[in-house]
Amino acid sequence: MRLQYILSIILFFPLLVIQTTIVPLISINGITPDLIMILLVFYAMKCGQMYGTVLGFFYGFLFDLITGTLFGSTMLAKTLAGFIAGYFSNENKVDNYLKSYSFLLIVLLCSVVDLVIGAFFTTIDLNTNFILLFFNQGMLPGIYTAVLSIFIVIFYPKRSIS
Amino acid sequence: MSRIFSSIWENFKEYIVLVALLIISLIALSLNQKPAVKKVKSLAFGSFAAFTSVISDVINVANVKSENIKLRKLNAELMLKVSELRQYGIENSELKSLLGLKDTTQYPLIPASVISKSISKYQNTITLNIGSKNGVEAGMPVINDFGMVGIVATTSNDFSIVKTLENVELKLTVKDERSRIDGIMKWNGSNLIIVDVPKTYDVEPGDRIITSDLSTIVAVPLPVGVVVGLSKIETGIFNEVKVKPFVDFIRTEHVFVLRIIENKEIQGLELNFYNH
Repeated sequence: MRLQYILSIILFFPLLVIQTTIVPLISINGITPDLIMILLVFYAMKCGQMYGTVLGFFYGFLFDLITGTLFGSTMLAKTLAGFIAGYFSNENKVDNYLKSYSFLLIVLLCSVVDLVIGAFFTTIDLNTNFILLFFNQGMLPGIYTAVLSIFIVIFYPKRSIS
Repeated sequence: MSRIFSSIWENFKEYIVLVALLIISLIALSLNQKPAVKKVKSLAFGSFAAFTSVISDVINVANVKSENIKLRKLNAELMLKVSELRQYGIENSELKSLLGLKDTTQYPLIPASVISKSISKYQNTITLNIGSKNGVEAGMPVINDFGMVGIVATTSNDFSIVKTLENVELKLTVKDERSRIDGIMKWNGSNLIIVDVPKTYDVEPGDRIITSDLSTIVAVPLPVGVVVGLSKIETGIFNEVKVKPFVDFIRTEHVFVLRIIENKEIQGLELNFYNH
């Protein structure tokens, strides 16, 4: 378990490099998947809700510092996303979730929460159309992220050693 | 007492941690403009950008061949344009000297490469491989061959972060090139819009939008985009003008930083005027 804690932090940095250099090349009409979210959901499910919440906060903190986004916005959004992903960290079911397409739905849910909250703190004003905001800024990038998370389902070991 | 706290902690620890972290995040949101936070941010992205620049160099090498072909074509087209503009330039300087106007069109350009991009629907930023060592300062406009890209937000010694036009934090004074109408342009998360344009104003789809000389940030006419539509708000007297930017921010790889910063002298004069 301790190895997983360390790995979840170490993996963040190469993933952030990929997120900021390679992922823009696969964007569709300005919509990009969020690899950090996939990592967060994975470890929140593996290591528990408390760890997921703290990890979300930590990822958001680093992301805000490194990419120059509004300091605190990603922290807040990812903390909540990590908390929600942690709900699915039931010891008996976690392997089933990770080996099935339920994982995609969990990633979608967490991504939408993350993106909508992020949008709420940055773009919201009196003229905002909430349905459009939910669809354009939440659902579309969320679906793209969820689709990419299929690789976790495919490559996750069928029988977990731990 | 300690047993009660311990019991509360055991039963609600996830929620307690969540609330505590959310409060810290909200406090962080309120600290955005603090110089100490800006300093820490510039240190953090400066260190990280060193890694991303390596990856971005590798990606750029792969694109060099196709880009060279495009650039050759563009070069030929520009050569034709330059010879045409040179004629206008000569005429212009002659006319200016006749009128006794000062030439204000000389702005040094600092070339830069984009080494990483943080793309989201509301806060697009790009990181450049030049920083304060190269003379870059916060507030300088960033352009490419198509037009305005954004404004430098933070710099470290060797790197700088640019808020692109597709960033909700950036608001810019722009002008309709045809009708000379000024307005404030911002990114609303989905579109670039010029807000609060009176319905009686002459703005039409197809009009080119440039930065306005009223802007203290970018007082040079730089191409921004083209009007693609008017969102007619049924109630009220204002329209929102939708603008399609000339620059494709996702594909942008090479840019120039325009070495001008917001005019403190003009700002000072205006502030004095308002204070009186």
